[in-house]
Amino acid sequence: MSRTLVVFVVVLTAAPRLTAQTATDLLEQGVRAYQKLEYDAAVALLRESLARRAPTALADSQRARALSYLGATELFQQERDSAAGSFRELVRLDPRYRPDELIFPPQVTNLFEEVRRATKVLTVQVPASMELRPRRESFTARVITTSVLPVLVTLAHDDGTPVRTLWDGRVPDSMVVKWDGTTTDAGALPEDGHYVLRVAPNPATEDGPRPLQVTLDITQEPPDTLSWPPPPTAPPLLPERTSASPALGSLAAGTLAGGAVVALPSLFGRSGEATGARFAVAATVSIAGLVGFFAHQPRPIAANIRANAPARADWQRRVEAVKTENAKRRGSARLLIRAGPVTVAERTP
Amino acid sequence: MRALAATCAFVLAASVASAQRRPTIGLRADAFMMWVHSDTGSARTSLRGPGFGGEGRIAVNGLLFGLGLLEGQLKPAGGTGGGAGASQLDLVQGTVFAGGRLLPWLEITAGPVVRAYVTDSTTERWVFWQARARVDAPIVVGKLGSYFEVWRALASDVNLPTGAGRIQGGEAGVVYQPPRQRVWLRLSYRMDDALLGGPGGNETMEAITLSGGIVVP
Repeated sequence: MSRTLVVFVVVLTAAPRLTAQTATDLLEQGVRAYQKLEYDAAVALLRESLARRAPTALADSQRARALSYLGATELFQQERDSAAGSFRELVRLDPRYRPDELIFPPQVTNLFEEVRRATKVLTVQVPASMELRPRRESFTARVITTSVLPVLVTLAHDDGTPVRTLWDGRVPDSMVVKWDGTTTDAGALPEDGHYVLRVAPNPATEDGPRPLQVTLDITQEPPDTLSWPPPPTAPPLLPERTSASPALGSLAAGTLAGGAVVALPSLFGRSGEATGARFAVAATVSIAGLVGFFAHQPRPIAANIRANAPARADWQRRVEAVKTENAKRRGSARLLIRAGPVTVAERTP
Repeated sequence: MRALAATCAFVLAASVASAQRRPTIGLRADAFMMWVHSDTGSARTSLRGPGFGGEGRIAVNGLLFGLGLLEGQLKPAGGTGGGAGASQLDLVQGTVFAGGRLLPWLEITAGPVVRAYVTDSTTERWVFWQARARVDAPIVVGKLGSYFEVWRALASDVNLPTGAGRIQGGEAGVVYQPPRQRVWLRLSYRMDDALLGGPGGNETMEAITLSGGIVVP
């Protein structure tokens, strides 16, 4: 009765000041009250600090500290159930948190351990964003339990279609589950899209921890491939076919010479009595030009082709090397994975 | 004459500047069919007939020296103004030339030419200094080629009262050289026109020539 009265008085007298103080201030005051063995005041201050909501709410680390002091205080007030409740809340807040044994006596830490073991908590921590090279690197999810718990970790499409089972077994305390970025044993890469990483007790129980899920936004980053080496050109390659120019030159030479034969009387003579015999010569010369035209048709130059063969083979080898490297790079495309917040999933039967 | 001297000097200078080479000798034999049309204003005659000729030349260090001779027998080929009644005549022409090959495809020569039309009673003699330019255009290198040659008299004289006018002409044809042979064959057509002085008319000579030659290194 007297204790209730004290608390009432403390709260009543402190109330105007409490509203003006931040949750952190309240936490520090509660800790000091605990250290002065003023447990009632400590409980009131710590609870008030925990009751604050955003934007003045405690950060998770401070909240864990407040709960640990609150549980210890309640234990020393002989309110074991309340202390266990505070510790249970602490365990659920941060399953990896441990009260400092230099600050709290063994009776506090022992109770905390007892509560921790009895509290089935399952959490998962994933990096908010990461890039990985499939098969070479892994996406890691840290699964944390407060006691040994069989857990099933799966990756599925956002519509629920299973992709891969990443872990199906017992998790003693904390375990890193890895995913190599492939969706099949053959090494297929996931298509761009939303996926769900689901962490659930297996089997699910009514009183067990709720399953958790994290939405993963996966995008394939196209790899940087090498450009093909430029094909060898002339020079330094020797021409492998004869040019068409000599053929045209031959045709031109024959045609012009034939034309000159026909035109000579007009160019140099005055007499209109030039005989038609020149046309026979003109025809012969023109035919010679045609012969030259067909004789000079472009054709392969075997010697040059042989001389160029090493350079072409070297280029082909470099092309093949680039092909191989590009195939390797395409196979090692990077995955960009962005994780959403950890949320509680629906229980599945 | 000054033009002739300048041409010769130019050809000599250009040829001497070319690389030293071993001398080569070229010999050529011609067989031709010739037509000569003469128009003196008052009478026009046409004669034709076969002929033979030859040429020898030596090339030393890019310079050319040579001489040529042709001879033919021309008979009336019909015509107007007395052509049918023209008498037979012989044609004799001698040529001496010097020059050089300025470019692989260009040859320049110059020299005197003496041409005579000989009948039983008279001889019409032409003497002129002639400059010639010849362009060679290969059709199939080393085997087949064409050429075009032009010439013009730089100075001329004829033993006719009218005197001599300008003399010019040209020739074009095709040359065949069998592979790895020094001999060659040539088929050509030429036209040569000589004006008489004043309104004296002209004499035109055309010929189809089949030639064979050899180059001796």
